Amino acid sequence: MKTLKALWRIPSARLALLVLAAIAFLAVFGGALAPHDPLKQYTDEVLQGPSSAHWLGTDYVGRDVLSRLMAGTRLSVVGALEAVLIGALLGVPSGLVSAWLGPRLEWITLRISDTLVILPFTVFAIAVAGTLGNGLQQAMIAIGVLMSPIFYRVTRAAAIGLRRTQYVEAAELMGATEWWTLRKHIWSKVLPNVAVTAAQAMGAALLVVASLAFLGLGITPPAPTWGGMLSADLGYLSQQPWAPIFPALLMMATVGSLNLLADSMRDVTGATTAPRRRPRRTTARPEKQSREEQSDVVPA
Amino acid sequence: MSSQPDHQPRRTLEVTDLQVSVGDHLVAVQDVSFTIGRGESVGLVGESGSGKTLTCRAVLGLLPATGHVDRGRIVLGDGADTVELTDAKRGTWDRVRGLRLGAVFQDPTSYLNPSLTVGHQLAEQLRVKRRLSRRDAHARSVELFAEVGLRDPAGVFHQYPHQLSGGMLQRVLIAIAVSCEPELLIADEATTALDVVIQAEILGLLRRLRETHQLSLLLVTHDLAVVAETCERILVMYGGQIVESGPTEEVLRSPRHPYTQALMGVATIGNWQRRKLDVIPGQPPAAGAEMPGCRFAPRCAYASARCVAGAVPLTDLGHERSARCVLVDDLSAPSVQEVSA
Amino acid sequence: MTTTHEVRVPGRVAEAEASLLQVRGLSVSYAPPRKAASLGTGAALADADLDVRLGEVVGIVGETGSGKTTLARATVGLVRPLAGSIEFAGEDVGALRGRALRAFRRSGQVQLVFQDPLRSLDPDLTVADLVREPLDIAGTLSRRDRAERVDESLRLVGLDPDAMRDRQPRELSGGQRQRVSIARAISTRPRLLFCDEPVSALDVSNRNLVLNLLDQLRRELGLAVVIIAHDLSSLAGIADRVAVFYRGRIVEQGPIHEVLERPAHPYTALLTASAPSVEPGAGQSARLRPEQLVPPAGSRPWPTDGVCVFAQRCPFAHDACTDQPALLPIQRAPGRLAACHVAASWRDRLGGHQAERESA
Repeated sequence: MKTLKALWRIPSARLALLVLAAIAFLAVFGGALAPHDPLKQYTDEVLQGPSSAHWLGTDYVGRDVLSRLMAGTRLSVVGALEAVLIGALLGVPSGLVSAWLGPRLEWITLRISDTLVILPFTVFAIAVAGTLGNGLQQAMIAIGVLMSPIFYRVTRAAAIGLRRTQYVEAAELMGATEWWTLRKHIWSKVLPNVAVTAAQAMGAALLVVASLAFLGLGITPPAPTWGGMLSADLGYLSQQPWAPIFPALLMMATVGSLNLLADSMRDVTGATTAPRRRPRRTTARPEKQSREEQSDVVPA
Repeated sequence: MSSQPDHQPRRTLEVTDLQVSVGDHLVAVQDVSFTIGRGESVGLVGESGSGKTLTCRAVLGLLPATGHVDRGRIVLGDGADTVELTDAKRGTWDRVRGLRLGAVFQDPTSYLNPSLTVGHQLAEQLRVKRRLSRRDAHARSVELFAEVGLRDPAGVFHQYPHQLSGGMLQRVLIAIAVSCEPELLIADEATTALDVVIQAEILGLLRRLRETHQLSLLLVTHDLAVVAETCERILVMYGGQIVESGPTEEVLRSPRHPYTQALMGVATIGNWQRRKLDVIPGQPPAAGAEMPGCRFAPRCAYASARCVAGAVPLTDLGHERSARCVLVDDLSAPSVQEVSA
Repeated sequence: MTTTHEVRVPGRVAEAEASLLQVRGLSVSYAPPRKAASLGTGAALADADLDVRLGEVVGIVGETGSGKTTLARATVGLVRPLAGSIEFAGEDVGALRGRALRAFRRSGQVQLVFQDPLRSLDPDLTVADLVREPLDIAGTLSRRDRAERVDESLRLVGLDPDAMRDRQPRELSGGQRQRVSIARAISTRPRLLFCDEPVSALDVSNRNLVLNLLDQLRRELGLAVVIIAHDLSSLAGIADRVAVFYRGRIVEQGPIHEVLERPAHPYTALLTASAPSVEPGAGQSARLRPEQLVPPAGSRPWPTDGVCVFAQRCPFAHDACTDQPALLPIQRAPGRLAACHVAASWRDRLGGHQAERESA
């Protein structure tokens, strides 16, 4: 709550939150509020410019563009959200585990994440869609799995930095279980990092969903999505050169807002993708401890 | 050099009526005046927040971004060499810092470039500021390293900061600071982070350098004992003001300000039999706190209504001593024996 | 072993005789640099013995990296020793593992106060949360008792519970923070308190406040306190005994005033001679000067390892010093130990040496 209030005080974050709130609203109510049926083809009004009946015009089979954009929000956003959730669910726990529970698990999880990192999103998603059938779910699971290394790395980096902090050591000396330490001391510091990553990943996922839809993957044709609309509009550039602007603008606004939000969150919470600022040590040198050493804490 | 000790003692630094504020016009240092003579060593003592560091940073022109000198004059040197440092411009500082003003700080690692050898960093200073050739700079650097008591100076020349211990790094910094024969060396908590043995060695080094280089020394520290061992004159700061000043030995023998007395009670006194640890009750005032009278009054055992009635001036007590206390004449200072008993 | 054992009243003579903590032959090595390199200062500890009795304050001094922090960390079990035993109240706690170790830690009988409260107190928690944490983890007290214990602990360290309870560490002054971390340590009513440089990050006026507080806790709670410090004079005001570390070894141990007044090891002598003093001129003649205690220029070079740890810096090093001397009792000085071949005789050699140096 405090974080949200602090975010609200940053103008760019406020703008981002407003845009995202509007997008969320569209995702939920967009279909119901659309002025026309997004699938209905007004065959005599193909490729019309904006008019009072069709504010943003019609597409190549005469469907209302505004209605399709509004209705398409849900599929696009929900798809991306699904991918991010899967990524976080896979990445965050494994990141914590790798920082906490022994070198063997650490090695295994690191290798898995390395393997996933080298796979290109879109190509992998196409392969999965090819194998498991062309559906949004399959594609999103694939994207989610590929996103998990991002969450894994961020969580791990934050947790490893915290592992050797003195308050964690102090908790260990009090006889705290690992679970206690995780819950009481680690989680509150890892969470902001995860949130920042989630916002960034959400933007990326939206783009991937759009590009898949653009390629005709993941979503079966008549259903409206931003990417699918963009793709269709590009085929009629000579007739309607301005048409791709609408879906593109919407995507840019959403992804841009998510990135803005991520930046502001990082500023507000002090989260970093690297470990938190470690205590500054004036070079403790085991091999050099002999003659003169310097204390590492000094009266201010 | 050209010192003619029988004549008027030469002045190295004169600070007059200095007022420094930080942030939103919080006056952190006020009414600070002092003079450092040629070859003299002066100790500036105070707790954190007393304004001692801001004072010395103002002299060095290194105030934090929010800091600002509101009032006062800072003048370096005497006669023809005089340089006005008040509101000095970049060019003036470049001609003064390093050449006529040397400085050593608490944390030597942060003042050295970790990716260059320490010798390189000293030689560079010599080449830029003194225009020595590469070969001469190297030779002079090794000489300086030897002078500051580094064993194997030629070997140290090629070492990186991380290969040296804190005490050795502090010696390197001192070598850099004195490399251009400055008139004044400012040491801001330069020995605070070091353990006692190294601290004693560094203080010994500073004493020696003063003699060999006719160096004036401004030693800024929170530790009264460090000043007692090193400085001829002492300035005690509290809440942004100088509360007492005078020759070290006399001030410590009979402090005339209650704060100095209290400080002596809590300081390292070198008497192992002492079994009592005195405490100064309360907290020092926050920087810029508005206080009508004596800033130490809330913590002072002798405080009365007189103390907070109005600003307390620094009273000249003769014999180069002064103190900022309304009771300065009545207060029969308890002797050191009493304090340390 | 619960967190609720009673506060011991001073006057447990029989108990005070026996050591509460008995460390024997403790050695620690960080030799293979593990990836978690942030552990302590990386100094090794060799063959350290330490006894602490109830109601006693033991000081540990030495330069940074001399192994004093390592001793504390190994004793409380944050570092695995290579060799040696740690007995607490007759129990071999050094051998405890897993569940048994956790149970012992939850009993809260041994507590460590870290050097820097800003780093050892979780910045997101409130003072009440922080002080209550060991009790919450042990879980033996009811919620209400815990809250009471928190208030009581805060009052014991001289903080007002009502004003402090809901603050976060960053809202406190340095001295207050250190007192909160002491309150956390005493909330389990420990019998032994390890304090790692409790005052070195504090200002002079807070320094003595915290030291006096530890002294008072020792008296009121009957605690045994171990204070690690590099400031001799603050120890002199509070400790009963002192152990001097040099490069991972205890070089001298004994009652503090005797050790500081008449050091038996040349390193201790160098330490006391180097300590700055405000007493103008007083005692200067009687005291040794640091210059007397460093080897003259051009003296025999000593290797870093395989000889007495202090040989390199010792003006009295001679052939016998190629062997590391053991920590042995000093004749005619009960309770004092020193690890020096010439502990009894170096003072006599000081005269000639001194004259030599003075002419230089």
